[in-house]
Amino acid sequence: MKQNTLSYKIRQYLMFAGPGTVLFLAVVIVPFLYGLYLTLTSWDGVSATKPFVGFENFAAAFQDSAYWSAMGRTVIYSVFAVVLINIVAFALAYLVTQGIKGQNFFRAGFFVPNLIGGIVLGYVWKFVFNRAFVALFSGTSLLSTTNGAMFCLILVSVWQYAGYMMLIYVAGFMSVSGEVREAAMIDGCTSGQAMMHVTIPLMRSSFVQCIFLSITRCFVVYDVNLSLTKGEPFGSSVMAAMHVYNQAFTYKNYGLGQAEALILFVVCAIVGVTQVMLGKKGEVEA
Amino acid sequence: MKKAVALVLMLVMVLALAACGGGETGVETGNDGTSITIFNSKMEIQSQMEEMAKKYTAEKGVKVEVYYSSDTVAAHMSTRYASNEPYAIAMVDAKDIYSLGPEHAVDLSDQQWVADTTQAITVDGKVLGFPVCIEARGIIYNGEAIRAIVPDFDPTAVKTTEEFQAVIDALIDGGMETPTGVMKEDWSLAAHFLAEVYEMHADPDAFIAGIKDGSIQLAEDDIYNAMMDTFDVLKDNNYAKASAISAEREVTEQMLAEGELAFMFGGNWDWSVINAYNYSDDMGMMPVPNDLGDGSSDKLVGGGSKYFYVDNGVSEEQQQAAKDFLNWLVYDEEGQSFLVEECALVPAYSNITLEVADPLGASVKAYTDADALIGNYNYLPDDHYAKVGASFQKYLAGQIDRAGLADEITAYWATAEVGAH
Repeated sequence: MKQNTLSYKIRQYLMFAGPGTVLFLAVVIVPFLYGLYLTLTSWDGVSATKPFVGFENFAAAFQDSAYWSAMGRTVIYSVFAVVLINIVAFALAYLVTQGIKGQNFFRAGFFVPNLIGGIVLGYVWKFVFNRAFVALFSGTSLLSTTNGAMFCLILVSVWQYAGYMMLIYVAGFMSVSGEVREAAMIDGCTSGQAMMHVTIPLMRSSFVQCIFLSITRCFVVYDVNLSLTKGEPFGSSVMAAMHVYNQAFTYKNYGLGQAEALILFVVCAIVGVTQVMLGKKGEVEA
Repeated sequence: MKKAVALVLMLVMVLALAACGGGETGVETGNDGTSITIFNSKMEIQSQMEEMAKKYTAEKGVKVEVYYSSDTVAAHMSTRYASNEPYAIAMVDAKDIYSLGPEHAVDLSDQQWVADTTQAITVDGKVLGFPVCIEARGIIYNGEAIRAIVPDFDPTAVKTTEEFQAVIDALIDGGMETPTGVMKEDWSLAAHFLAEVYEMHADPDAFIAGIKDGSIQLAEDDIYNAMMDTFDVLKDNNYAKASAISAEREVTEQMLAEGELAFMFGGNWDWSVINAYNYSDDMGMMPVPNDLGDGSSDKLVGGGSKYFYVDNGVSEEQQQAAKDFLNWLVYDEEGQSFLVEECALVPAYSNITLEVADPLGASVKAYTDADALIGNYNYLPDDHYAKVGASFQKYLAGQIDRAGLADEITAYWATAEVGAH
């Protein structure tokens, strides 16, 4: 059978990638395009008619001050959370690759928070902040102050994701062969210098991945936000995703909510892709 | 040969996909072929509803299926309509009848029960909403805890803020240091407490219009100030005063149920939380005391709550079965007993004379029977409770004062529009 005819190529494609393509179109591309169309309507989410309004929703989204303050909050939250997640994850990964006793147990232990769903985790920590801490230190709950609520959100996110990112860093550590490091030490590096100048540069791809994953997750955080603070106190911890949900479903401005979701997506994509491009540039190999 | 195999594989895949796509749910049918679906949005009666559906299916030969969703009603209904699977009967909030009804609800004006209730919702001359129950707001008190300290406590005699304060002072003197609880939830503060300010005005529409165009200064409004005076009493004696906005509803209600607190603003639906604890039988509801002297502190605020509508998107037979079901609730002994005794709801129908078992419901029934209810204002915008609730939480936390709260409410109304009605 000829293998370079068009029909052969199409058949091969359909056989191997056809189902995937169809599913991808059905669950990603089509809804995305439909969503794009909905941003041009003033649909309320329920009614049968979807009045076409052009780009009004985008104009309204840019004027929605609550949305932009939620966005600003999300950026602040993401910066703190991403930095802390990666520092903690890296430190944990370092510790559990030193050959200490029971390190597999520790690896599993640190990873467990990631297996608990965000909703459950939020309720568990809410109990800790509202009852346990209050009972132990007899103060007021951190969740009842605006900065405290943000602090709690960051803390819980770090706790949740650090174990997951740790696994990627562990893989990174394992991929750096001991010989390179040993060679550096023989050449007179201290162990700190060997870490800074040999191990970390070789693990660059782990950093790129971890930072990308944590940025994208933090930007669209919703579950922990909902169960831990529910946007309270007085709407001061409403993140962008929660604002979008409320706008679309609770306030019944589906078109506007969809437009705001799209803006959130674009911002998130720009930040994520820029970071990956910058990160990839300097990758080195041993 | 290879070709054939490839073809078969392709076919299998296409079929598998087609099977995924064609999600036309074949609803099982009852004995005479009719089946109806009911959407329940009152979480606390879901198990009773399911039980009832089984019995109803067995006895009436109409298969009834009950669904519940923890989503907001509007969000859930929108997904159902988007997937083109309307419920035969949907239980929604009053405001949803105005927004969904004209497009989706069947006209029920010719039904017998319309004459037996004052709470049905009529849109453009058509009765679209069947009131499921009556719910009312006021101050919930724990009589047992109060009478242990103030033996002659009479909830109907506490009319003014001063008298309310006097009871609280007596309780404090008697050893109950913090006699009140305040729910910090935005819906409780804005949609329930603040809403009373709108509802106590003779013409809430005109009042809100006045706030919007600046002809009414909310901060100087008598009713607003009278209600906030009473709120201040609740707030100042709150057991969780220092962390009022992280107080958890369950904790507050447990303390009230078990007599550690004497008063909390709430409604008869709170019974579903209170009855989870070791509650006192001597509880009840009383109107929010105020200094207006216009008789408003003789009345609870409330009315029909949760409405059924019959969807015009289902077949004629299903619509008829749905109407029969509604009639069964109102006129059949079993239906009445289901509503009142099993679900512990306060019936909205004058022909139903069954006693309401829970004490809060009994209070509401008593006020309803005495025609002492101030009606609900069902047209607040969807974002009112969240946005104004956030402002009210600031007040509760002591971050803004009463004038500041009035400013924020006024600012909210500058851009908000009440729902069409």
